[in-house]
Amino acid sequence: MSEPRDEARATTGKSAENLQKTRLLRSESTKFQDHVAPPIVGALKRGSANTKMRTVKAIAESILINKCSDEKRMKDEVDKHGQWKHSTMGIIEFFVYKILLVGLYIAYGIFRYFQYQYNLMKLRILNVFYSPSNTPQLIRQDVRKLNKIPKVLASILEVKPVGDVGGGSKGLLNDGSKLVCWTVSAGIKQLILYDYEGILQGNVELFREGIYAKLSKYYGPYNVPTFAVKVPHENKVYYNLKGNSQKKSKVSIEVSLLSSRDGRETIVDLTKTMAHLYKQGDLSLDEITVDLVDQELVQLVGHEPDLLLYFGPALDLQGYPPWHLRLTEFFWEADNNQVTYSVFIRGLRVYAGAQMNVGK
Amino acid sequence: MVGSETATESSVEWWPMIGLKNLLSHTLKSSNCVPQHIGFIMDGNRRYARKTGQAVRAGHEAGFVSMSKILELCYESGVNTATVFAFSIENFKRSEHEVKALMELAKERIRQLTEHGELAHKYDIRIRVIGEISLLDEDLLEELLKTTEMTKNNKRAVLNICFPYTGREEILHSIKNIISEGIDSKSIDESVVESHLYTGGLPPLDLLIRTSGVSRLSDFMLWQSCRKSTVIEMVDCLWPEFGPARIAWILLKFAFKKSFSSNTTSLEDEDEDEEQLDEAKDGSNRFESSKSFENDFKYANKMEKFQ
Repeated sequence: MSEPRDEARATTGKSAENLQKTRLLRSESTKFQDHVAPPIVGALKRGSANTKMRTVKAIAESILINKCSDEKRMKDEVDKHGQWKHSTMGIIEFFVYKILLVGLYIAYGIFRYFQYQYNLMKLRILNVFYSPSNTPQLIRQDVRKLNKIPKVLASILEVKPVGDVGGGSKGLLNDGSKLVCWTVSAGIKQLILYDYEGILQGNVELFREGIYAKLSKYYGPYNVPTFAVKVPHENKVYYNLKGNSQKKSKVSIEVSLLSSRDGRETIVDLTKTMAHLYKQGDLSLDEITVDLVDQELVQLVGHEPDLLLYFGPALDLQGYPPWHLRLTEFFWEADNNQVTYSVFIRGLRVYAGAQMNVGK
Repeated sequence: MVGSETATESSVEWWPMIGLKNLLSHTLKSSNCVPQHIGFIMDGNRRYARKTGQAVRAGHEAGFVSMSKILELCYESGVNTATVFAFSIENFKRSEHEVKALMELAKERIRQLTEHGELAHKYDIRIRVIGEISLLDEDLLEELLKTTEMTKNNKRAVLNICFPYTGREEILHSIKNIISEGIDSKSIDESVVESHLYTGGLPPLDLLIRTSGVSRLSDFMLWQSCRKSTVIEMVDCLWPEFGPARIAWILLKFAFKKSFSSNTTSLEDEDEDEEQLDEAKDGSNRFESSKSFENDFKYANKMEKFQ
């Protein structure tokens, strides 16, 4: 190592650069010998998470990675399926399929790229069409045209990376309070907000302030609708702001905050309690019916929503309480990643047009 | 065999199409990113019959033909388990005549599936009828058990036929079984409930497909499909029109998404995890310790009230 350093010191900066380049090249060539993925893959992996480039990246990567790991994968495959062992026909067949797959991936990738761009454009145009600009009257006008609205509305919210617009827990609280405003304006009395990690549940105070601030923006500071924030898991109800939290018999909207804790885990807890009661002889097997479980879970978690809005790119229920999804209508916009009014109102519209025929 | 030939007359295909189908499924298989468990809500048979001006029964027949074609492609591409929603408990509300016809059809078709040289034999599939089977007629039940018994030693793949089934009943079934087995209440957790479902022991649901443009679960596999990262596809076409090309497209989409995300999300995931820790520190973690205790109390109180 001392030799090249001396050389580098002796020669001009330019030659030092050359030296570095050759060294890089040498390291690259050794990499190739070991069948490690070429450096481009690494560069792509480390690249910035530019969402627009994602699809292009997808194509490139699927091609590269498929080609690079072909041999290794083939070995696995051959081991799994005994009949391919030691048969050249099998290997040829396998390569043919691999090449076809790469072709399919490229075709799909190209299609997906255009589809993605089309969806983004559509969403942008819709967002221009439907912008409530903080006025409940406009929302009411949109809703009045619909022949039915959901009694209970639910929404799955996601935390975005802190660096993004509307990211972090603050972004989540903001999205939640926006939704509360739209729901009040639409005349829906019950809203369920679900987030997997329970960030809303953990920041109830902040969330109440957020809702209050947003509502006073929509309705003016002297005319803020009353609201209640419920955390079913803790069995707590909070009315309005912290300062004036006097109990009111009637509120304009009831917001329930759920997390993954209210989903499968609650059913497990219920099972535990029932098992306990059964052992004590307080409960017989015949008494355990769908109605009983339903009654208990409605008390513990809340009612089943009529419409569930998802503000992500592709429907993922993320552990939403399973018992409460029986006949819930889902709505999401493909490739959408924001909580926007256009998704909200379009969801309500689709719901208004939906026909329900249970079992018939 | 003669009988089955006449019955599946409409499913006879032109041979290059079969070749293409096999090529496509083998290509998909080579991606190693095929869903391990697919659920199907086969909706739209009656609407199809109405649309084409046929009898309701013909619609169901067309639905069966479509199902066997799709399942063939799935198993050929390396899918391990498929679960089809054939009959809901709610379907007993339909006219007596139609229910009876559906039962007959199911009996006939399940027998056909298990026949020599048919789907079950070709792909070494174990066929199971799951759901609240005690609601069925005794004759039918006996017949079904007899036919499914024949496939019980098949190992490579599984086909669950939900008949008559609802997702809530499945959860209830699991709860009841756990209680009657007398499992210690401390050792009951999510995995115990999951293993007592009808689909216990099978791979988790990766993909759920619903046809006819309706975006509801309609009480199908509620517990399984609410899992994070289960892909749900709502397709806007009637079930008999949902052909192999469409399922191949969905499988390609799934494989593309999966092979792409598994390569790149590792970094993003790490970021998210860190963030989650930061933010959840004052949030959900706070109650974690007191949660279970508190809940036990709450439930016990409520149960007392109920009685």
